[in-house]
Amino acid sequence: MIDPYQVLGLSKNADQEDIKKSYRKLAKKYHPDLNPGNKEAEKKFKDVSHAFDMIGTSEARAKYDRGETDEQQQQQYKDFMKRGQRPSYYDTQHEGGRYSYSFGEDFGGEDFFENLFGRSRGHHMDFPGEDIHYKMEIDFIQAALGSEKVITLRDGKNLKVKIPAGIESGKKLRFKGLGSPGAGRGVPGDAYIEIVVRPLEGFIRRGQDIETELPISFIEAITGGEVEAPTIDGTVLLTIPPGVSSGTKLRIKGKGAGEGEKRGNQIVVLKIVMPRVIDPSLRAAAENLKGQFNYNPRMNS
Amino acid sequence: MNHHHRKIEEASDYCGVPREMILLFIKREWISPLDQETPILDEEDVARVLLIWELRQNFGVNDEAIPIILNLIDQINLMHLELKKFRIH
Repeated sequence: MIDPYQVLGLSKNADQEDIKKSYRKLAKKYHPDLNPGNKEAEKKFKDVSHAFDMIGTSEARAKYDRGETDEQQQQQYKDFMKRGQRPSYYDTQHEGGRYSYSFGEDFGGEDFFENLFGRSRGHHMDFPGEDIHYKMEIDFIQAALGSEKVITLRDGKNLKVKIPAGIESGKKLRFKGLGSPGAGRGVPGDAYIEIVVRPLEGFIRRGQDIETELPISFIEAITGGEVEAPTIDGTVLLTIPPGVSSGTKLRIKGKGAGEGEKRGNQIVVLKIVMPRVIDPSLRAAAENLKGQFNYNPRMNS
Repeated sequence: MNHHHRKIEEASDYCGVPREMILLFIKREWISPLDQETPILDEEDVARVLLIWELRQNFGVNDEAIPIILNLIDQINLMHLELKKFRIH
Protein backbone atom coordinates (compact mmCIF):
# COMPACT_ATOMS: atom_id res chain seq x y z
CA MET A 1 0.00 0.00 0.00
CA ILE A 2 1.31 3.46 -0.86
CA ASP A 3 1.15 6.48 1.45
CA PRO A 4 -1.27 8.76 -0.40
CA TYR A 5 -0.17 11.88 1.50
CA GLN A 6 3.44 11.28 0.55
CA VAL A 7 2.56 10.60 -3.08
CA LEU A 8 0.58 13.85 -3.27
CA GLY A 9 3.32 15.75 -1.42
CA LEU A 10 1.04 16.77 1.45
CA SER A 11 1.00 16.62 5.23
CA LYS A 12 -1.74 14.76 7.09
CA ASN A 13 -3.24 18.12 8.08
CA ALA A 14 -3.94 19.13 4.47
CA ASP A 15 -7.57 20.01 3.78
CA GLN A 16 -9.69 18.45 1.02
CA GLU A 17 -9.16 21.42 -1.26
CA ASP A 18 -5.35 21.04 -0.96
CA ILE A 19 -5.67 17.36 -1.81
CA LYS A 20 -7.70 18.16 -4.89
CA LYS A 21 -5.33 20.90 -6.00
CA SER A 22 -2.25 18.76 -5.52
CA TYR A 23 -3.87 15.84 -7.32
CA ARG A 24 -4.85 17.99 -10.29
CA LYS A 25 -1.40 19.50 -10.49
CA LEU A 26 0.40 16.16 -10.40
CA ALA A 27 -2.13 14.40 -12.64
CA LYS A 28 -1.63 17.10 -15.27
CA LYS A 29 2.12 16.81 -14.93
CA TYR A 30 2.23 13.03 -15.30
CA HIS A 31 -0.79 12.33 -17.51
CA PRO A 32 0.21 9.64 -20.08
CA ASP A 33 -1.20 11.69 -22.94
CA LEU A 34 0.95 14.63 -22.01
CA ASN A 35 4.01 12.39 -21.61
CA PRO A 36 3.67 10.00 -24.52
CA GLY A 37 5.86 6.92 -24.21
CA ASN A 38 7.23 7.95 -20.80
CA LYS A 39 6.80 4.86 -18.60
CA GLU A 40 8.07 6.62 -15.48
CA ALA A 41 5.41 9.34 -15.86
CA GLU A 42 2.77 6.67 -16.46
CA LYS A 43 3.69 4.93 -13.21
CA LYS A 44 3.61 8.20 -11.30
CA PHE A 45 0.22 9.01 -12.83
CA LYS A 46 -1.12 5.67 -11.59
CA ASP A 47 0.27 6.29 -8.11
CA VAL A 48 -1.20 9.79 -8.01
CA SER A 49 -4.61 8.54 -9.23
CA HIS A 50 -4.59 5.75 -6.67
CA ALA A 51 -3.58 8.13 -3.89
CA PHE A 52 -6.50 10.38 -4.84
CA ASP A 53 -8.86 7.38 -4.81
CA MET A 54 -7.72 6.73 -1.24
CA ILE A 55 -8.10 10.23 0.22
CA GLY A 56 -9.85 12.28 -2.47
CA THR A 57 -13.18 12.34 -0.62
CA SER A 58 -13.67 13.01 3.08
CA GLU A 59 -15.34 9.58 3.53
CA ALA A 60 -12.51 7.68 1.83
CA ARG A 61 -9.96 9.75 3.69
CA ALA A 62 -11.58 9.15 7.10
CA LYS A 63 -11.45 5.41 6.46
CA TYR A 64 -7.83 5.57 5.41
CA ASP A 65 -6.90 7.70 8.43
CA ARG A 66 -8.60 5.18 10.74
CA GLY A 67 -6.46 2.48 9.14
CA GLU A 68 -9.48 0.62 7.78
CA THR A 69 -8.98 -1.68 4.84
CA ASP A 70 -12.47 -2.97 4.32
CA GLU A 71 -13.72 -4.97 1.36
CA GLN A 72 -14.90 -1.86 -0.43
CA GLN A 73 -11.46 -0.31 -0.18
CA GLN A 74 -9.85 -3.47 -1.45
CA GLN A 75 -12.32 -3.53 -4.31
CA GLN A 76 -11.45 0.07 -5.09
CA TYR A 77 -7.82 -0.92 -5.19
CA LYS A 78 -8.56 -3.83 -7.51
CA ASP A 79 -10.63 -1.53 -9.71
CA PHE A 80 -7.75 0.86 -9.77
CA MET A 81 -5.30 -1.86 -10.74
CA LYS A 82 -7.67 -2.89 -13.48
CA ARG A 83 -7.77 0.68 -14.75
CA GLY A 84 -4.01 0.81 -14.40
CA GLN A 85 -3.68 -1.93 -16.97
CA ARG A 86 -5.56 -0.06 -19.62
CA PRO A 87 -3.53 1.53 -22.37
CA SER A 88 -3.29 5.30 -22.44
CA TYR A 89 -5.04 7.02 -25.31
CA TYR A 90 -1.63 7.77 -26.78
CA ASP A 91 -0.81 4.03 -26.77
CA THR A 92 -3.87 3.35 -28.93
CA GLN A 93 -3.03 6.13 -31.40
CA HIS A 94 0.72 6.37 -31.78
CA GLU A 95 0.89 3.63 -34.39
CA GLY A 96 -2.01 4.98 -36.39
CA GLY A 97 -5.28 4.91 -34.47
CA ARG A 98 -8.47 5.69 -36.33
CA TYR A 99 -9.16 8.92 -34.39
CA SER A 100 -5.78 10.44 -35.27
CA TYR A 101 -6.05 8.87 -38.69
CA SER A 102 -9.14 10.89 -39.50
CA PHE A 103 -6.80 13.80 -40.25
CA GLY A 104 -5.15 11.49 -42.78
CA GLU A 105 -2.90 12.86 -45.44
CA ASP A 106 -4.47 16.29 -45.22
CA PHE A 107 -2.15 16.80 -42.33
CA GLY A 108 0.46 19.43 -42.88
CA GLY A 109 1.95 22.47 -41.20
CA GLU A 110 -0.48 24.89 -42.75
CA ASP A 111 -3.52 22.73 -42.19
CA PHE A 112 -2.51 22.17 -38.61
CA PHE A 113 -3.06 25.80 -37.69
CA GLU A 114 -6.02 26.17 -39.99
CA ASN A 115 -7.68 23.23 -38.29
CA LEU A 116 -7.01 24.78 -34.94
CA PHE A 117 -8.11 28.32 -35.50
CA GLY A 118 -10.43 27.96 -38.42
CA ARG A 119 -9.60 28.59 -42.04
CA SER A 120 -8.47 32.07 -42.71
CA ARG A 121 -8.90 32.08 -46.45
CA GLY A 122 -12.35 32.98 -47.65
CA HIS A 123 -14.73 30.12 -48.40
CA HIS A 124 -18.17 31.37 -49.17
CA MET A 125 -19.86 28.01 -49.48
CA ASP A 126 -19.63 25.49 -46.67
CA PHE A 127 -21.05 22.04 -47.33
CA PRO A 128 -20.54 18.84 -45.42
CA GLY A 129 -18.83 16.04 -47.33
CA GLU A 130 -20.74 12.96 -48.43
CA ASP A 131 -20.57 9.60 -46.73
CA ILE A 132 -18.80 6.90 -48.71
CA HIS A 133 -19.88 3.28 -48.52
CA TYR A 134 -17.53 0.35 -48.92
CA LYS A 135 -17.89 -3.40 -48.74
CA MET A 136 -15.31 -5.64 -47.13
CA GLU A 137 -15.34 -9.41 -47.57
CA ILE A 138 -13.98 -11.43 -44.69
CA ASP A 139 -13.68 -15.13 -43.97
CA PHE A 140 -16.14 -16.93 -41.76
CA ILE A 141 -13.47 -17.58 -39.13
CA GLN A 142 -12.22 -13.96 -39.21
CA ALA A 143 -15.79 -12.84 -38.54
CA ALA A 144 -16.23 -15.31 -35.72
CA LEU A 145 -12.94 -14.70 -33.93
CA GLY A 146 -12.14 -11.11 -34.90
CA SER A 147 -9.40 -9.92 -37.18
CA GLU A 148 -7.55 -6.99 -38.58
CA LYS A 149 -7.70 -6.07 -42.27
CA VAL A 150 -6.54 -3.21 -44.39
CA ILE A 151 -8.88 -1.54 -46.86
CA THR A 152 -7.85 1.02 -49.46
CA LEU A 153 -10.18 3.99 -49.42
CA ARG A 154 -11.28 5.88 -52.49
CA ASP A 155 -8.62 8.55 -51.95
CA GLY A 156 -5.87 5.91 -51.88
CA LYS A 157 -5.35 5.87 -48.12
CA ASN A 158 -4.95 2.51 -46.47
CA LEU A 159 -7.16 2.10 -43.44
CA LYS A 160 -6.56 -0.58 -40.80
CA VAL A 161 -9.91 -2.03 -39.74
CA LYS A 162 -10.15 -3.95 -36.50
CA ILE A 163 -13.00 -6.37 -36.97
CA PRO A 164 -14.82 -7.20 -33.73
CA ALA A 165 -15.11 -10.92 -32.94
CA GLY A 166 -18.62 -12.20 -33.59
CA ILE A 167 -19.51 -9.64 -36.26
CA GLU A 168 -22.33 -10.64 -38.57
CA SER A 169 -22.72 -10.20 -42.31
CA GLY A 170 -24.34 -6.90 -43.20
CA LYS A 171 -23.00 -5.02 -40.20
CA LYS A 172 -21.70 -1.54 -41.05
CA LEU A 173 -18.66 -0.04 -39.37
CA ARG A 174 -18.46 3.72 -39.33
CA PHE A 175 -15.24 5.72 -39.62
CA LYS A 176 -15.96 9.28 -38.76
CA GLY A 177 -14.52 11.90 -41.08
CA LEU A 178 -13.13 9.44 -43.63
CA GLY A 179 -15.75 10.11 -46.30
CA SER A 180 -15.62 12.86 -48.92
CA PRO A 181 -14.09 16.15 -47.78
CA GLY A 182 -16.49 18.98 -47.10
CA ALA A 183 -16.53 22.21 -49.06
CA GLY A 184 -15.22 25.29 -47.30
CA ARG A 185 -15.60 24.75 -43.59
CA GLY A 186 -17.98 21.85 -44.11
CA VAL A 187 -17.12 18.76 -42.10
CA PRO A 188 -16.03 15.67 -44.04
CA GLY A 189 -18.47 12.80 -44.47
CA ASP A 190 -18.02 9.39 -42.88
CA ALA A 191 -16.83 6.12 -44.36
CA TYR A 192 -19.10 3.13 -43.80
CA ILE A 193 -17.66 -0.32 -44.29
CA GLU A 194 -20.22 -3.07 -44.73
CA ILE A 195 -18.99 -6.47 -43.67
CA VAL A 196 -19.72 -9.37 -45.98
CA VAL A 197 -18.91 -12.73 -44.42
CA ARG A 198 -17.86 -15.45 -46.85
CA PRO A 199 -19.66 -18.71 -46.03
CA LEU A 200 -17.68 -21.71 -44.80
CA GLU A 201 -18.97 -25.04 -45.97
CA GLY A 202 -20.55 -27.04 -43.16
CA PHE A 203 -20.66 -24.10 -40.70
CA ILE A 204 -23.69 -21.87 -40.17
CA ARG A 205 -23.79 -18.84 -37.88
CA ARG A 206 -26.79 -18.64 -35.52
CA GLY A 207 -26.11 -15.40 -33.68
CA GLN A 208 -23.03 -16.07 -31.56
CA ASP A 209 -23.50 -19.86 -31.92
CA ILE A 210 -22.23 -21.91 -34.83
CA GLU A 211 -24.26 -24.84 -36.11
CA THR A 212 -22.75 -27.85 -37.84
CA GLU A 213 -24.09 -31.19 -38.98
CA LEU A 214 -22.27 -34.35 -37.97
CA PRO A 215 -22.92 -37.64 -39.74
CA ILE A 216 -22.79 -40.74 -37.50
CA SER A 217 -23.42 -44.42 -38.19
CA PHE A 218 -26.56 -46.11 -36.88
CA ILE A 219 -24.28 -48.26 -34.71
CA GLU A 220 -22.72 -45.14 -33.13
CA ALA A 221 -26.27 -43.85 -32.63
CA ILE A 222 -27.17 -46.98 -30.67
CA THR A 223 -23.97 -47.52 -28.70
CA GLY A 224 -22.72 -43.95 -28.36
CA GLY A 225 -19.00 -43.24 -28.42
CA GLU A 226 -16.42 -40.64 -29.18
CA VAL A 227 -16.45 -39.07 -32.62
CA GLU A 228 -14.23 -36.43 -34.18
CA ALA A 229 -16.11 -33.19 -34.84
CA PRO A 230 -14.71 -30.22 -36.81
CA THR A 231 -14.84 -26.80 -35.13
CA ILE A 232 -13.40 -23.46 -36.25
CA ASP A 233 -10.50 -24.11 -33.85
CA GLY A 234 -9.78 -27.56 -35.32
CA THR A 235 -11.08 -31.02 -34.63
CA VAL A 236 -12.35 -32.03 -31.17
CA LEU A 237 -13.50 -35.36 -29.75
CA LEU A 238 -17.23 -35.26 -29.13
CA THR A 239 -18.93 -37.79 -26.84
CA ILE A 240 -22.13 -39.14 -28.36
CA PRO A 241 -24.49 -40.58 -25.75
CA PRO A 242 -26.14 -43.91 -26.62
CA GLY A 243 -29.59 -43.81 -28.24
CA VAL A 244 -29.43 -40.54 -30.19
CA SER A 245 -31.55 -39.79 -33.27
CA SER A 246 -31.03 -37.74 -36.39
CA GLY A 247 -31.61 -34.14 -35.39
CA THR A 248 -30.32 -34.58 -31.83
CA LYS A 249 -28.37 -31.47 -30.90
CA LEU A 250 -25.19 -31.59 -28.84
CA ARG A 251 -23.41 -28.51 -27.54
CA ILE A 252 -19.67 -27.88 -27.64
CA LYS A 253 -19.10 -25.06 -25.19
CA GLY A 254 -17.07 -22.01 -26.25
CA LYS A 255 -16.51 -22.98 -29.89
CA GLY A 256 -18.86 -20.38 -31.34
CA ALA A 257 -18.27 -16.75 -32.34
CA GLY A 258 -17.07 -13.98 -30.05
CA GLU A 259 -14.15 -13.60 -27.70
CA GLY A 260 -13.25 -14.72 -24.21
CA GLU A 261 -16.15 -15.46 -21.91
CA LYS A 262 -18.61 -14.03 -24.40
CA ARG A 263 -17.82 -16.65 -27.00
CA GLY A 264 -20.84 -18.62 -28.20
CA ASN A 265 -21.16 -22.39 -28.50
CA GLN A 266 -21.10 -24.83 -31.35
CA ILE A 267 -24.34 -26.72 -31.83
CA VAL A 268 -23.74 -30.10 -33.46
CA VAL A 269 -26.79 -31.57 -35.15
CA LEU A 270 -26.44 -35.33 -35.53
CA LYS A 271 -27.42 -37.07 -38.73
CA ILE A 272 -27.63 -40.84 -38.77
CA VAL A 273 -26.28 -42.16 -42.06
CA MET A 274 -26.85 -45.73 -43.20
CA PRO A 275 -24.14 -47.65 -45.05
CA ARG A 276 -24.30 -47.10 -48.83
CA VAL A 277 -24.64 -50.82 -49.44
CA ILE A 278 -26.52 -53.04 -46.99
CA ASP A 279 -24.58 -56.24 -46.69
CA PRO A 280 -26.85 -59.33 -46.68
CA SER A 281 -25.43 -60.43 -43.33
CA LEU A 282 -26.25 -57.00 -41.83
CA ARG A 283 -29.76 -57.29 -43.15
CA ALA A 284 -30.07 -60.82 -41.70
CA ALA A 285 -28.81 -59.56 -38.35
CA ALA A 286 -31.36 -56.72 -38.42
CA GLU A 287 -34.14 -59.22 -39.24
CA ASN A 288 -33.11 -61.23 -36.17
CA LEU A 289 -33.10 -58.15 -33.97
CA LYS A 290 -36.48 -57.02 -35.27
CA GLY A 291 -38.32 -59.72 -33.40
CA GLN A 292 -36.44 -59.03 -30.22
CA PHE A 293 -36.18 -55.20 -30.11
CA ASN A 294 -38.83 -53.84 -32.44
CA TYR A 295 -40.42 -50.47 -31.65
CA ASN A 296 -42.62 -47.94 -33.42
CA PRO A 297 -40.79 -44.59 -33.80
CA ARG A 298 -44.00 -42.95 -35.11
CA MET A 299 -45.76 -43.31 -31.78
CA ASN A 300 -45.17 -40.99 -28.88
CA SER A 301 -43.97 -42.95 -25.93
CA MET B 1 -6.75 -12.59 -31.87
CA ASN B 2 -8.28 -10.57 -29.07
CA HIS B 3 -9.32 -6.99 -29.80
CA HIS B 4 -11.28 -6.31 -26.61
CA HIS B 5 -14.54 -5.08 -28.02
CA ARG B 6 -17.03 -4.21 -25.32
CA LYS B 7 -20.68 -3.24 -25.13
CA ILE B 8 -21.43 0.02 -23.27
CA GLU B 9 -22.20 -1.76 -19.96
CA GLU B 10 -19.05 -3.85 -20.19
CA ALA B 11 -16.92 -0.83 -21.06
CA SER B 12 -18.47 1.03 -18.12
CA ASP B 13 -17.62 -1.83 -15.72
CA TYR B 14 -14.13 -2.05 -17.17
CA CYS B 15 -13.12 1.58 -16.98
CA GLY B 16 -15.33 2.83 -14.16
CA VAL B 17 -16.99 5.57 -16.25
CA PRO B 18 -20.79 5.60 -15.81
CA ARG B 19 -22.82 4.21 -18.70
CA GLU B 20 -24.82 7.46 -19.06
CA MET B 21 -21.59 9.39 -19.48
CA ILE B 22 -20.35 7.07 -22.23
CA LEU B 23 -23.70 7.47 -24.01
CA LEU B 24 -23.38 11.24 -23.69
CA PHE B 25 -19.86 11.15 -25.17
CA ILE B 26 -21.19 9.13 -28.11
CA LYS B 27 -24.15 11.49 -28.58
CA ARG B 28 -21.76 14.44 -28.72
CA GLU B 29 -19.64 12.49 -31.23
CA TRP B 30 -16.53 12.69 -29.09
CA ILE B 31 -16.57 8.92 -29.31
CA SER B 32 -17.43 7.27 -32.62
CA PRO B 33 -17.87 3.53 -32.14
CA LEU B 34 -17.23 1.48 -35.25
CA ASP B 35 -20.46 -0.40 -34.75
CA GLN B 36 -23.13 2.27 -34.33
CA GLU B 37 -26.09 -0.04 -33.84
CA THR B 38 -25.04 -2.13 -30.86
CA PRO B 39 -22.80 -0.02 -30.11
CA ILE B 40 -19.50 -1.73 -29.34
CA LEU B 41 -16.43 0.07 -28.06
CA ASP B 42 -12.93 -1.04 -28.96
CA GLU B 43 -9.71 -0.32 -27.07
CA GLU B 44 -9.29 3.07 -28.75
CA ASP B 45 -12.81 4.12 -27.77
CA VAL B 46 -12.35 3.00 -24.15
CA ALA B 47 -9.02 4.84 -23.81
CA ARG B 48 -10.66 7.95 -25.30
CA VAL B 49 -13.63 7.65 -22.91
CA LEU B 50 -11.18 7.56 -19.99
CA LEU B 51 -9.29 10.56 -21.34
CA ILE B 52 -12.50 12.60 -21.68
CA TRP B 53 -13.64 11.48 -18.23
CA GLU B 54 -10.34 12.56 -16.70
CA LEU B 55 -10.43 15.90 -18.50
CA ARG B 56 -13.96 16.63 -17.24
CA GLN B 57 -13.79 15.17 -13.75
CA ASN B 58 -10.25 15.80 -12.67
CA PHE B 59 -9.01 18.74 -14.66
CA GLY B 60 -12.17 20.80 -14.68
CA VAL B 61 -12.29 21.08 -18.48
CA ASN B 62 -15.70 22.27 -19.65
CA ASP B 63 -17.69 20.61 -22.42
CA GLU B 64 -17.02 23.34 -24.97
CA ALA B 65 -13.27 22.78 -24.66
CA ILE B 66 -13.37 18.97 -24.85
CA PRO B 67 -13.63 18.66 -28.67
CA ILE B 68 -10.87 21.26 -29.11
CA ILE B 69 -8.55 19.36 -26.78
CA LEU B 70 -9.38 16.04 -28.43
CA ASN B 71 -8.74 17.56 -31.84
CA LEU B 72 -5.36 18.88 -30.66
CA ILE B 73 -4.35 15.58 -29.09
CA ASP B 74 -5.33 13.68 -32.24
CA GLN B 75 -3.32 16.04 -34.40
CA ILE B 76 -0.30 15.83 -32.10
CA ASN B 77 -0.49 12.02 -32.08
CA LEU B 78 -0.58 12.06 -35.87
CA MET B 79 2.33 14.48 -35.93
CA HIS B 80 4.31 12.08 -33.72
CA LEU B 81 3.53 9.29 -36.15
CA GLU B 82 4.53 11.35 -39.16
CA LEU B 83 7.78 12.42 -37.49
CA LYS B 84 8.55 8.82 -36.64
CA LYS B 85 8.13 7.85 -40.31
CA PHE B 86 10.30 10.76 -41.28
CA ARG B 87 13.09 9.57 -38.95
CA ILE B 88 12.95 6.06 -40.39
CA HIS B 89 13.27 7.22 -44.01
